[in-house]
Amino acid sequence: MTRPGTRTETMPGAASAGGQPMEGQDPPRDLKAEEARLRKVWNTPGGWRYWTSVNNSEIGLWYGATAFIFMLFAGLLALVVRAQLAVPQNDLISADLFNQAFTLHGTVMMFLFAVPIFEAVAIFLLPPMLGARELPFPRLSAFGFWSFAIGGVFVCGSIFFKAAPNAGWFMYAPLATDKDYAGIGADVWLLGLSFIEVASIAAAVELIVGIMKCRAPGMRINMMPLFAWYLLIVAGMILFAFPPLIAGDILFEMERMFDWPFFDAARGGDPLLWQHLFWIFGHPEVYIIFLPAIALMAMIVPTFSQRPIVGYSWIVLAAVGTGFLSFGLWVHHMFATGLPQISLAFFSAASTAVAIPTGVQIFVFMATMLAGRVIFSVPMLFGTGGVAIFIIGGLTGVMVALAPFDWQAHDTYFIVAHLHYVLIGGMLFPVVAGIYYYFPLVDGKALSDRLGKIAFWLMFTGFNVAFFPMHLTGLRGMPRRVFTYPADIGWDWLNLISTIGAFVFAAGVGVVVIDILRPKKRQPDVKPNLWNAGTLEWLAEPKESWGVRSIPIISSRYPLWDQPDLAEGIKQGRYYLPDAKEGLRETLVTSVLDAKPIQVLRVGGTSMVTIAAAILLGGVFIAMTFHLWTLTILFGLGTLIAILYWLWTGTGAIPEAKEKDVGLGLSLPIYVSGPASVGWWAMFITMVGDGTAYGSLLFGYFFYWTIHDDFTAGLAGPGLVWPLAGSALFLASWVLMLMARQANERDRTSLTRMLLSASMLATLIGALAAFLGPHRYGMDPTVHVYPAIVWVLVGWLMVHAAAGLIMQGFCLARSFAGRMSAAYDMDIRNVTLFWHFLTVTALTTLPVIALFPLAR
Amino acid sequence: MRSFIPREIETLWTLFTAPVVWAFHFVVCYVVMAIACAKGSGSIEGLMGLRLFLGGFTLFCLLLIVGSAYLAWRQWGFGTDTPPHDAPTRQERQLFQGFATLLLSGLSFISVVFVALPLLFIPACMP
Amino acid sequence: MQSALDPAGVEAQAVYWLFWICVIGGAIIWVGVMAVLFYAGRGGREAISQKAGQRIILIGGVLFPTVVLAALLSYALWLMPTVRPVTAQANSRLTLDVTSEQFWWRIAYPPEGDLPGFETANEIRLPLGERVGFRLHAADVIHSFWVPALGGKMDMIPGRTNFLSLEATRPGLYRAPCAEFCGTSHAVMGLTVVVMEQSAFDAWRKAQAQLQPVAAASGTAPRPATGNGPVVAADQTDRGQDGLAIFQRHGCAACHALRGTTAQGKIGPDLTRLGERATLAAGALPNTQEALAAFIRNPQKAKPGALMPAFPMIPPEELATLADYLRASP
Repeated sequence: MTRPGTRTETMPGAASAGGQPMEGQDPPRDLKAEEARLRKVWNTPGGWRYWTSVNNSEIGLWYGATAFIFMLFAGLLALVVRAQLAVPQNDLISADLFNQAFTLHGTVMMFLFAVPIFEAVAIFLLPPMLGARELPFPRLSAFGFWSFAIGGVFVCGSIFFKAAPNAGWFMYAPLATDKDYAGIGADVWLLGLSFIEVASIAAAVELIVGIMKCRAPGMRINMMPLFAWYLLIVAGMILFAFPPLIAGDILFEMERMFDWPFFDAARGGDPLLWQHLFWIFGHPEVYIIFLPAIALMAMIVPTFSQRPIVGYSWIVLAAVGTGFLSFGLWVHHMFATGLPQISLAFFSAASTAVAIPTGVQIFVFMATMLAGRVIFSVPMLFGTGGVAIFIIGGLTGVMVALAPFDWQAHDTYFIVAHLHYVLIGGMLFPVVAGIYYYFPLVDGKALSDRLGKIAFWLMFTGFNVAFFPMHLTGLRGMPRRVFTYPADIGWDWLNLISTIGAFVFAAGVGVVVIDILRPKKRQPDVKPNLWNAGTLEWLAEPKESWGVRSIPIISSRYPLWDQPDLAEGIKQGRYYLPDAKEGLRETLVTSVLDAKPIQVLRVGGTSMVTIAAAILLGGVFIAMTFHLWTLTILFGLGTLIAILYWLWTGTGAIPEAKEKDVGLGLSLPIYVSGPASVGWWAMFITMVGDGTAYGSLLFGYFFYWTIHDDFTAGLAGPGLVWPLAGSALFLASWVLMLMARQANERDRTSLTRMLLSASMLATLIGALAAFLGPHRYGMDPTVHVYPAIVWVLVGWLMVHAAAGLIMQGFCLARSFAGRMSAAYDMDIRNVTLFWHFLTVTALTTLPVIALFPLAR
Repeated sequence: MRSFIPREIETLWTLFTAPVVWAFHFVVCYVVMAIACAKGSGSIEGLMGLRLFLGGFTLFCLLLIVGSAYLAWRQWGFGTDTPPHDAPTRQERQLFQGFATLLLSGLSFISVVFVALPLLFIPACMP
Repeated sequence: MQSALDPAGVEAQAVYWLFWICVIGGAIIWVGVMAVLFYAGRGGREAISQKAGQRIILIGGVLFPTVVLAALLSYALWLMPTVRPVTAQANSRLTLDVTSEQFWWRIAYPPEGDLPGFETANEIRLPLGERVGFRLHAADVIHSFWVPALGGKMDMIPGRTNFLSLEATRPGLYRAPCAEFCGTSHAVMGLTVVVMEQSAFDAWRKAQAQLQPVAAASGTAPRPATGNGPVVAADQTDRGQDGLAIFQRHGCAACHALRGTTAQGKIGPDLTRLGERATLAAGALPNTQEALAAFIRNPQKAKPGALMPAFPMIPPEELATLADYLRASP
């Protein structure tokens, strides 16, 4: 690991070469007082107020623990399912309970465990790993966690009231839209999960901005820990994968609540649209689950090989490549739906190709192990065990990517085996490896080596005993999701073996739980950096909540191996931001490629508003499930007020000075707006996700065009006049908004206010015009899918216009409150960014609904 | 080409050029065939023309990827330096970007070829 | 009899070979990777260089998989139109309409020559060695048509008509489960496929086709043979006659048809020649008198969520008569 030191460049502000901190600052520093101030600012409150904390270490821990508990719950459901299937013609539980159990098992594992656990790990690990004090939006993380916890409890709790979803975790219409069959369970699923999807997108925003902008100075893009690379890609994938499901959820819920026939074939709808939208989400989701787990492996393998990873760039290739290819696979879940063979074949090809980047990752680990000296500790055991399992899942994955084979295997126990090999080998085992690896960071205690080994062997054998026979069961003709089966067709002993294996596996998980929960008071604290790892997170001090004592300058991929004085320098506050004089939580913002410091970011601290907003938003979704409309509106208003209060008090504060000395002779601006600011990025990223959801709805419009000879079914459209007038007005509102921003830049306050008001008026009338088109032509959304899809598009536009109006009103209020000026223009610039997206939405929606029916 | 495109593009986005071309190729192939099968007659002759068209389009996309690969190769210094590219300098960071982009171009090339294979084997729209 | 690993059809046979190719290839790859992992984990070996590591990644992670996958993909793509030919839709001499409903199968044989078409349920008979087409419909929710021994599956989707063709290569009786989750009793929605020699098939089809629904005369429902209506006290020796009367009296004909009689209900499965079928209630029960009687008394036991109401009011001896009649019916 020698590297040419001659090419080393200095960081701005670092006085000496090699990024080493300067010894002996001019005035003598009172380290104790600095530490006390830092400790006070980052303090985690005690008592019940503990739960109002927004520190990444607390949120990450709660997030992880909650997800883990949901996993145990879903695991118990799986045991119920396995017990029922142990023998043929079993009547342990009713068919109905069985159907609820497997639906909830899949739903909880995918939505409440697999995705959230990675958000948890990321929130917990990323700041220390990147050398940041915090993620850029800690309150957003907290809001995401509380949303997830409320939504999750709601979804899981439903089974105790016999109201759990029961149509399988992918909720195919029209079974799931059948109110007699699916009851309220489908609403619980749709609304509970929509809520959690919102939390995931919030996490994606947080992670992308955090990884791009909040790395320690000097941590260039080629020196980022691989975990961060993976998470960056995964967060990007979430932005494009979750919104189609949200769009699908909207259509689904409109059908269930208001009888808009999106999936009802009798009125022009098509059940296949749901399948498309679900799997456009659903397949990337598999990789959204898998990549973060492999990211943990990419941290563990170098540590236990005691050398840097071989093939860093290859991992980047694999992560990015998988991220892209995973969006070209969704139809392989629909090989049996009767789509044209040529369409199936494209997806078959992409599904085969995705095996290449996946293989690359495994070979990177093997090469790294071969190039180092491997220490087989418990994390490594779980890691390699997971790889052994995952490869089998990958190989069967290639098999089911081949359409002719999938025609046989689809929807059988072969698929059940395949998906569990992929998810448990590719996700659960690495996550357990991660738990054993990172547990010392939680409170300085290690998990037991002995229990870990017992757990591994129980889980590994149990898993294979349970799931390997299922390949055979499936090819012998056993479809998935059957609550019983006959005795005479050769499935009985296979199922019995599977059930025994499942209980052995569960025993292994139980040992892990015992190891985590057993009291460790008397156990001595482990030494820091227990495994002799090379990355920054191992400097974290579990007993302190400030994250990192001072923000270091990084000059290696494995700074703890290559920068010998680093730990000492950080602890003595010799780097950036060693103090908190103003009593505010601060972290550094750095540039994307070379991580040059560009801003001191003040982040939100402990607050009740995040919990309040999450509870109120949860109230909206829960009230909606039970069709309590008044309550829904009240909760909605409450949510809006909470969020406005949050934004008003928590964002865009005007600092006491333009710049601030961050240490090492560097002064950085405190207030930054526009593309250089984290807020602008957050808005941009959110709107990309939002735009994807909109694109999915628009896809729906054209989808109905393709499946019908006349997709309007001879019904009246929205006409030309109103939609085109609406387009013109939205265009006008955009121009006015741009002018308002210009006026604000020139500090012409009253002109800014006038232009903002005019833009609001244009938006309002534009939204009204959009509404009047379908309204004046009497388009009834319950009659046929054509008016329904037009109304959905118009409704989407109107909701966004309404959100825009609130934002413009917020800007006006800020202006009147004297908090918006040419120098402090964050609000108006972010709203203008929103307006670009709104304008694109309006200028596609309205012309399409007006003109496309004529042009076809 | 050398004269048009500056040697140093300071952005992360170039990394995604080749995969974006792959995605574009994939979407065009899928959408064209889906619409042809849903709206057209779906006859073997009718599809032949489209297969040829998409075959040509595939070659075009492969050319784009080769172009991206060349630029990446140039950014990587034509392979004069070898990985791991982990030194804390701007130059090493650029070499890393070039190498990673080159690798992604390779993967995208393979993937575009894979996605074009159905054009050779599947003659019609039947389910 | 429900196994893709015991192929009795052209498609299933081809996929069976594909399966073994993948299994053997996959096993070799897995063992190879495991061997390297074990070697890597051993102490006291020489550590390889960075450069050698890069080469391993390039060869093992990229070149080898690319070649293998390209070959496998090409083979599978070639196989697709081979096992599901373009021409099947136009060229099949026999094409059946199969409609899935919660939780059974409605099957319509088309007319051919002077043989009229007919509708039956839950059991399909096919001629050996001939490609037969299936137009697949769904009446309520999505189901999936899958005869593992003959070939792969095809979904049945409301509002869409899917097409599948199968060619059987071995006579026999094959079970076919519904392969897409379709509600409470998805697990007990089975279809039986009987592959017969051409001559036997022709004879069976002719016999079935000859049983056509009989129009009801005003007020009464005469049977062709004896001309008697639904009488309560029928001749005790004529079990069949008595059975039909029970069938009519309890309103079974509102939902079920018995071709050759006036019972022409269309809501539930056709029960004509129930006795020749391998199973009852779409694979839920063996075809015995006791099972049939128990099913009529309480259909929810064997088939939770089924639309058929329970008939606990039918006295046991009448039930036995009815069951015998149905199993022996025309």
